[in-house]
Amino acid sequence: MSRHFREISVVAALALVLIGLAFAAPGFFQPQPLLSLVTREAPTLVVASGMALVIICRQIDISVGSQFAVCGVLTGLLASLGWPVATLVPAAIAAGAVLGAVNGTLVAGLQLPSIVVTLATMVTWREALRWWRQGEFVDLPVKLQWLGLSQRTGQWLLVATALMVLVVLALGLRHLAAGRHCYAVGADAEAARLAGLRPRRVTFLAFVLVGALTGLATILNVLQSPQVDPKSGTGLELKTIAAVVVGGVSIAGGRGSLWGVFAGLLLLACVSPALTHLRVEAYWEKAIQGLIILLAVLADGVRMRKTGP
Amino acid sequence: MSQTPSQSGSSKGALRHEWVLLMVVALEWLYFNSVGPRFGTLENSFDILRHSVEIGLLALVMTPIIISGGIDLSLGSLLGLCAVVFGKLWRDGGFSPAAAATCTLALGAVAGGLNASLITWLRLPPLIVTLGTYSLFRGLAEAITHGADTFTNFPDAFLALGQERFLGVPTQAHLFILVAGVMWLLLHRTTLGRTVRAIGFSPEGARHAGLPVGRRLASVYVLAGLIAALAAIIYTARLGQARADAGTGYELFAITAVVLGGTSIFGGIGTLHGTLLGIAAIAILNNGLVHARLPREAAGVLTGALLLLALSGTVIPQLWNARRARRRRHPAPASPSSPP
Amino acid sequence: MSAPLLQLRQLTKSFGGARALRGVDFELHAGEVHALLGENGAGKSTLIKIVTGAHQPDSGSIALDGHRVGTLDPATAHALGIACIYQQPALFPALSVMENIALRLEPVSPGRRVDWRQRRDRAAALLQRLGANIQPDATVSTLSMPAQQLVEIACALGAGARILLMDEPTASLTQSEQLRLFAVIRELRRNGVGIIYISHRLEEIFSLADRVTVLRDGQSVGTHATSAIDEPALIRLMVGRELTQIYPPAGSVPGRVILAARELGHAASGVHHVSFEVRAGEVLGLAGMVGAGRTELARILFGLTPADAGEILLEGKRAAIRSPREAVAEGIGYVPEDRRRHGVILEMPVAENMTMAIHPRIFPGGWLRFGRERALALDYIRALDVKCAGPEAVGSSLSGGNQQKVSLARWLVTKPRVLILDEPTQGVDVAAKGEIHRLVRRLTQEGMAVVLISSDLTEVIGMCDRIGVMRGGTLVSILPGRTDAHAVMAAALGQGPMAGGSA
Repeated sequence: MSRHFREISVVAALALVLIGLAFAAPGFFQPQPLLSLVTREAPTLVVASGMALVIICRQIDISVGSQFAVCGVLTGLLASLGWPVATLVPAAIAAGAVLGAVNGTLVAGLQLPSIVVTLATMVTWREALRWWRQGEFVDLPVKLQWLGLSQRTGQWLLVATALMVLVVLALGLRHLAAGRHCYAVGADAEAARLAGLRPRRVTFLAFVLVGALTGLATILNVLQSPQVDPKSGTGLELKTIAAVVVGGVSIAGGRGSLWGVFAGLLLLACVSPALTHLRVEAYWEKAIQGLIILLAVLADGVRMRKTGP
Repeated sequence: MSQTPSQSGSSKGALRHEWVLLMVVALEWLYFNSVGPRFGTLENSFDILRHSVEIGLLALVMTPIIISGGIDLSLGSLLGLCAVVFGKLWRDGGFSPAAAATCTLALGAVAGGLNASLITWLRLPPLIVTLGTYSLFRGLAEAITHGADTFTNFPDAFLALGQERFLGVPTQAHLFILVAGVMWLLLHRTTLGRTVRAIGFSPEGARHAGLPVGRRLASVYVLAGLIAALAAIIYTARLGQARADAGTGYELFAITAVVLGGTSIFGGIGTLHGTLLGIAAIAILNNGLVHARLPREAAGVLTGALLLLALSGTVIPQLWNARRARRRRHPAPASPSSPP
Repeated sequence: MSAPLLQLRQLTKSFGGARALRGVDFELHAGEVHALLGENGAGKSTLIKIVTGAHQPDSGSIALDGHRVGTLDPATAHALGIACIYQQPALFPALSVMENIALRLEPVSPGRRVDWRQRRDRAAALLQRLGANIQPDATVSTLSMPAQQLVEIACALGAGARILLMDEPTASLTQSEQLRLFAVIRELRRNGVGIIYISHRLEEIFSLADRVTVLRDGQSVGTHATSAIDEPALIRLMVGRELTQIYPPAGSVPGRVILAARELGHAASGVHHVSFEVRAGEVLGLAGMVGAGRTELARILFGLTPADAGEILLEGKRAAIRSPREAVAEGIGYVPEDRRRHGVILEMPVAENMTMAIHPRIFPGGWLRFGRERALALDYIRALDVKCAGPEAVGSSLSGGNQQKVSLARWLVTKPRVLILDEPTQGVDVAAKGEIHRLVRRLTQEGMAVVLISSDLTEVIGMCDRIGVMRGGTLVSILPGRTDAHAVMAAALGQGPMAGGSA
């Protein structure tokens, strides 16, 4: 029970918000806007899953937003060259994995601090993209949006894909040795090494995986719109870190689960539509999200104080 | 050994780093001077100065924070909030610019105090606390302006702070030099700096030595908030307008400058002159590329690359230290003792 | 005789310029407890790390059962049945007990499925074999140090270790916990496990080990059967000279009461109703089991965890000590148990470490005065004979004993009225130990009141004028100095048979 205190409290908070909305603004629960909301968050969920993995390994990746933009533009260009979707998906994932591998090499190989490495790659990728594209949008072939299906079917497809990624990763983290290795490395890399694990390899692969997932997320994004914005993904890193932290993953590594992250992301995503339905100005969204992050971390702090060091 | 007592445990490595960085800055200057005819003019130098003061101020106050082992992601957002509050007070509140500025500075200190109290009293991780306030401060700025309101038409006397010269140099340069000087003294010549360094190396060690850990740590974050407010006022004066998106991303530029300047993200190691050189390297690059008729974006790419290079160069000895520190849990590698 | 279980030949290892091992030979047989002895820095830890694969030797060979092994990394060492119990358990604090055990026992193959039920059952079974009352689901960070050590041993047991290295396993254990550990060790030995046992405590070595190898300056200076050698000879081998007297005689007469505690307590750390007095020129010992609340009491006195009950009196005046700063201002100094994490800041120079507690006094107005600081540091380096390259040398470049002296110097410069020493000689070589003892004597002769916490009974008895014994978070009795060890132990354990270890 106490081991899952954080996950339970996030789910409880989410339930409270939803129940509150059910009374105050029943309009929130119309299926179509709700589906659209979830679809918009689908790419973020995929990236957040990867971010959770990296943070469990006691690293952080703030370059995901830039990776997202680079992969998005690449995918868009390939699509406009007429590549079929079946080849776009592996291409986007591969592009993301390569970008992730750059971070992984610098962090795991040279043992540089991940926050600075990914700060540097974030700036580098973002500016290189701007240099190359000069802010130009990429027009996508018309039949690409929603895979040429109806919007509703397309949305369901995207949401299902994102949920599948979440479930597979969550099960892997809990029930595969590789998943447990992430926790071990995050809890204490030196002890993990002494236990015969290879912390550097685990770290490297975590960065590759978050890159690959970011690549996959761009596909989920590209399929939703007629164009690719080269500025897409700005702020994605902080949004996903916020979801991960609210979801109860410890920034000190080795603790947390993807179910919590899922609930955390939903909680943060609810803020904006909830405000609209409650007729509060939408400009309060960020402030309220900030408060949620502070509350989550406060809960952690109070709990830590209670159980003692 | 040496005549001048060392500042920190690893000052030798840090010193070497700063010389290398100085050479990078000098090379940048020489190169851009040779390719851009207007680059070396006094007017352009002032231009560089004007454009780097705000991020520079944030970098100055970010330095002791990172040396203490912390980080402050909220400074860019706080700059935005302060700029908006300043504009609001002046336009809608009927305050004079001076009175509005005073209130804004107070707000900055209070906002820094919010970070400080969460980090020191409740011992929450700075990265997450300031991630929360990053969102909170920006959100408040947007809420105040309803996302779109822009404050303009400030009086000329106020705009002079950001656009005119005083004693031959841009007005804000005086403030920057003053802040830089005070920060240098604080960090390198007072017990505050010494304590912050000790905290960066080992917070528990510092506590066991009877150092006022919480108070010193808090003062560093409050100071950062105060200076972020000052940067907001200068920003508003330079651009002649205050908007909710002011200073977006500035925290990351500031951190880049600090780390480029040789400050260790692990805490403990770092100097203020290193940060100044880091600011200079980035500012000159940004400005020089325009004069060299190269795309501006190249500056970002080069800054990123420079940061990675600087890291690879400095992190190796630090890594060694960090590893030793990690080995504390396990028996230390033995070194032969001198014969009895 | 069959080939030795483990045979090391001419091992050498250098760190940077420092040569930690210079050609060491070592043999371990199955069913043998082989003690490894030496001053700090003699190379014991390096040797251990080579056997566990944490370090690779520069040259020399390692053979198991007579077969030479090539490179030994942690994974191969583990596969070959080599396990190590470190001084401080190398567990994952954020993870559960069963997961910690599983991480050592299960193959590394990342694609494998994890069987949680089997993990739990196995952990429960192993812990039961050790007679440990620990829940498999418990998070390791919530366990006490001895409990964590038992988890470590459970890992080794589960792995079917043939070679078990123990690096000062009793350093943080009390007598009864030690006895249980010794029983486990003897059981393992009967089952043919070879045990390399490192300890500074000679009496343990004589009661437990079959053979002992002494290392000095990275070289082996001899292997002897413990039945064929005595304590003075061993000490001679270790230091290369004979120490005439281990404990300096007491020479001071206790004066007025300096520090007094009245019904002192702190609920969260389990300390309650502690009352005692310490006089000027007196050494008050604090004995007891780990978890009896000795360090916790010291932390209360020093303001690290301020008291929530009772009061502290200094020379008769009530003192509210709510932080280490206030403790320093009241003239209390505290040399903590964990020297490398709390005692000195390893990355900072000796001089800065020494002046850290007197900033307001030596740097009036907050302005650093480098000249003053250096002069003061030089004085104390000379007075305490700290072996270092100078005041600018960073703490990590010093040996353990010298780091301890720096930690002591930091408090001596404050000219404290009361000095609390928490395990001041733990992990310190014999020569430095003697120096620290003589220093304590000198300080008491100058009128300082000293509180000495130690798990080393001979030290408590040899050094203290009175011995306070703690049990279950409170002071149960105060015995006169030079008592015999049995009286102290009886008080620490409580009368009659003990049911397990009371916390």
